[in-house]
Amino acid sequence: MISDFVKSVQQGKIDPVHHIRSALEEVKNINQQFHYCTTIPEQSALAESKEAKTGRLAGVAVSVKDCICVKDIESTAGSAILKGYHPVMDATAVQRLKDEGAIIIAKTAQDEFGFGSFAVNVGIGMEIPKNPVDPERACGGSSGGSAGLTRKVSFPHVSLAESTGGSIVCPASFCGVYGLCPTYGVVSRYGLMDYANSLDKIGPMATSVDDLKLVMDIIGHMDPRDSTCTGPQHAKVIQKPRIGLLKSSFAQGVDPKVQSAVREFVEKLKRSGFSVSEVELPLTEKYGISCYYLISMCEASTNLAKFCGMRYGAHEPLDGNFNEYFSKVRSKYFNEESKRRIIIGTFARMAGYRDAYYLKAMRVRTKIIEEYKKIFTSVDILLSPTMPILPPRFADIGNLSPLQQYMMDIMTVGPNLAGLPHLNIPAGSVEGLPVGMLLIADHYQEQTLLACAKVLE
Amino acid sequence: MMHTDVVIGLEVHVELDTMTKLFCSCPTKGSESPNTRCCDVCLGMPGSKPVLNSKALEYALRLCLALKCNVSKELVFSRKSYFYPDMAKNYQISQYELPLGAKGSLTLGAKAVNIKRVHMEEDPAALTHPSGMHTSSFVLVDYNRSGNPLVEVVTEPDLASPEEAREFMKKLITILSYLGIFDVKQGIIKADANVSIKAGNYQRVEVKNITGFKDIERALQHEVERQKREVKEGKKIMAETRSWDSDVGITRSLRLKETEEEYGYIFDPDLVLIDITPEMIAKIQSSMPELAEQRVVRYINEWKIAPIDAEVIASDKLLSDIFEHVASHVDKPYAAKWIRRELIRVLNYQGKEMPQNPIRAEELIMLITLLQQKKITENTGQKIMELLMEGPFNIVEYVRKNNLEAVSDTGVLERLCREAIAEHPAAVEDFRSGSDKSLNFLVGKVMAKSKGKASPKEVNEIIKKLVR
Repeated sequence: MISDFVKSVQQGKIDPVHHIRSALEEVKNINQQFHYCTTIPEQSALAESKEAKTGRLAGVAVSVKDCICVKDIESTAGSAILKGYHPVMDATAVQRLKDEGAIIIAKTAQDEFGFGSFAVNVGIGMEIPKNPVDPERACGGSSGGSAGLTRKVSFPHVSLAESTGGSIVCPASFCGVYGLCPTYGVVSRYGLMDYANSLDKIGPMATSVDDLKLVMDIIGHMDPRDSTCTGPQHAKVIQKPRIGLLKSSFAQGVDPKVQSAVREFVEKLKRSGFSVSEVELPLTEKYGISCYYLISMCEASTNLAKFCGMRYGAHEPLDGNFNEYFSKVRSKYFNEESKRRIIIGTFARMAGYRDAYYLKAMRVRTKIIEEYKKIFTSVDILLSPTMPILPPRFADIGNLSPLQQYMMDIMTVGPNLAGLPHLNIPAGSVEGLPVGMLLIADHYQEQTLLACAKVLE
Repeated sequence: MMHTDVVIGLEVHVELDTMTKLFCSCPTKGSESPNTRCCDVCLGMPGSKPVLNSKALEYALRLCLALKCNVSKELVFSRKSYFYPDMAKNYQISQYELPLGAKGSLTLGAKAVNIKRVHMEEDPAALTHPSGMHTSSFVLVDYNRSGNPLVEVVTEPDLASPEEAREFMKKLITILSYLGIFDVKQGIIKADANVSIKAGNYQRVEVKNITGFKDIERALQHEVERQKREVKEGKKIMAETRSWDSDVGITRSLRLKETEEEYGYIFDPDLVLIDITPEMIAKIQSSMPELAEQRVVRYINEWKIAPIDAEVIASDKLLSDIFEHVASHVDKPYAAKWIRRELIRVLNYQGKEMPQNPIRAEELIMLITLLQQKKITENTGQKIMELLMEGPFNIVEYVRKNNLEAVSDTGVLERLCREAIAEHPAAVEDFRSGSDKSLNFLVGKVMAKSKGKASPKEVNEIIKKLVR
């Protein structure tokens, strides 16, 4: 546990320089086979470790998803178009970790700009991260590198990940670690390279509930540099939350082995005296995915416009007019998935389609939030498997049935659209592969989620 | 409104005079050296986030109220997407379906020009073409301007001539300066105009990039003439966007016109919706400065100033401010007359506008006091006003040194008049038989004897009295 490690550092029993040096060696070794890191900033990590004697994370090795800016450390959001970009500032969340003595040891691999669920849509020329349990399999996405590294390393470590539509809990589930996606706005997005600003949330991954809680306590605060940041609103922790099982996620399209693994944990909750009932979210199930993709792609297509080879990142020899030059850079350095989302997102907000797609999706989103708000009057926590399948082999990703793909998205997209806090809890394993259980709570109920996870730990 | 021969609608962009930019804390003024007043937000760095400058909102609301707009219940920003090298993010944070103000009006004499909308947006960066706009093979970008706060005022197509467009711009600038939200000396005001003529079936052409109120008349006159010529030559007016080249005095076709819908607007998800409460509006309403129209009424009713003097003075905030200062020390109607006639005369003579006026209130008070006490003649006063254009000096000292005190001692004046009467008996006779010309001749003689220091009016009275 991190707090024990930190105590030892503060008492001088562990030398952070020595510790970070061996941690870096381990990460480099792991990375050769598993490709979790886009950058391993050895020099700055060693330099920082010399100062790390105080703080709640004194000397703790932390990895940061590539889309979260770390000052002077190459940060590319997993895209070749940002190759060579060294941010001028630390993201607020990174700054807060550093202030507590954390050492940034890696930027972690992801789907380019977060566009994917398997971390296979990596940037041009980049490596695909592999599942820590079976390198033939995907580690989930988009925060695949963060999840894989968190599972694989032997030293105390937490990772800063990010979720737009499920990018924290999906890889946490496939890799068998804890991942918390907080309420939208609790953690500052300042310094986060945007995928879809109204959906993006920074959150931690760890191997224990206490570590998760510690990082949340550190990063979850108001920040005047992000207008949408509210910080935690200190909601009252619900002592014995009423559990609602999402009926449709224990049904067709969800691997029965995954279902029964999660059911075991449900039984455990029942035995501990939690009330468990079945609930449904018909509107979210019907419209959630189209709503999510419309909004996220519309926002993403505007966010990605700034990458044009002019101010930062990849450049090309200057020729032609600006349109030709911008197109050349963007054609060459964005991957296929980015291009697809830019084109669809641009289409959905253009003349003649904006009302039917973008504006309608915005209205549906409000309805979905209302549906969740209503259900939280009868239950306190929604429970389902995090992923409907076991981590797939790379070769099988293309063969997933449309229903399986739909179920993969629908489990995580709802809480992300509604900005609700949700948490992946490792729920044992099937055939040696990790299974994850998803808990969703009402806005600002992170502490209730963590308390519930603690019961199951 | 489509019955006039010329139909013009304006989109006016005004730079708000805030200390810092619209979405970050970089200063709007200061170093002119390129790219020295910018941060991650102005440059659109990945990870940067905009945070609204509430002063800019307050200023924009003042304008909405002054233009009698319906004010939106909430402030919502949108992203306007297009690729251009002056755009840090390749989208501009602006407002679209929910502008801050709508359905306002601005009065031009007897006419009300309808204001369609007033909205807030950020300024793009400035492009520099090192060897000229059309010849330079590359362009440099200066982000000092990037993110400056702008308001856009969009009129209905209610303007019927280039002159009227000019009057509109002038009136708008007056309002802006009264509101204290625009720097008249350094602030930038730009307009895009939609112009159509009856002979061209009112096909609209957009003319972009017109700076200041003087250029607007020129640019629009040119465009109206161009359209008339096209029609005469049997050509069809194209729906297009043209750019005004002030140096050459022509408009050039930029591109076929696109519509607003083609900018793919979405709500800016980085900025939260801000409620504009009745309390907020009431607070701004109560702190609204006095506007030109209100000053005119006060000048006429309370200060008994001639309507023409009141109108002219109030139409220029700087002029009006100087006048207010001066008027608190001297006779108000008298000061108004002098400032309206003489200050403007000397400025016009030197081709200057109020922002370049070097004459301070202190000197005007001194000068007008001397005039009012008849210590100097109006003639001398006019000369001193001209000299003040070169810079301030001690007027009392100057008058004494140059021996310019008006001869107002009745005894001395009477002596000079008697001398003149004695020296010109023929003229005296002519005057007696009704010749005003002879009276003027005699007055002239006395003025010469006094070396211009006598008041002609007083001399006139004395001669009349002595001759009868």
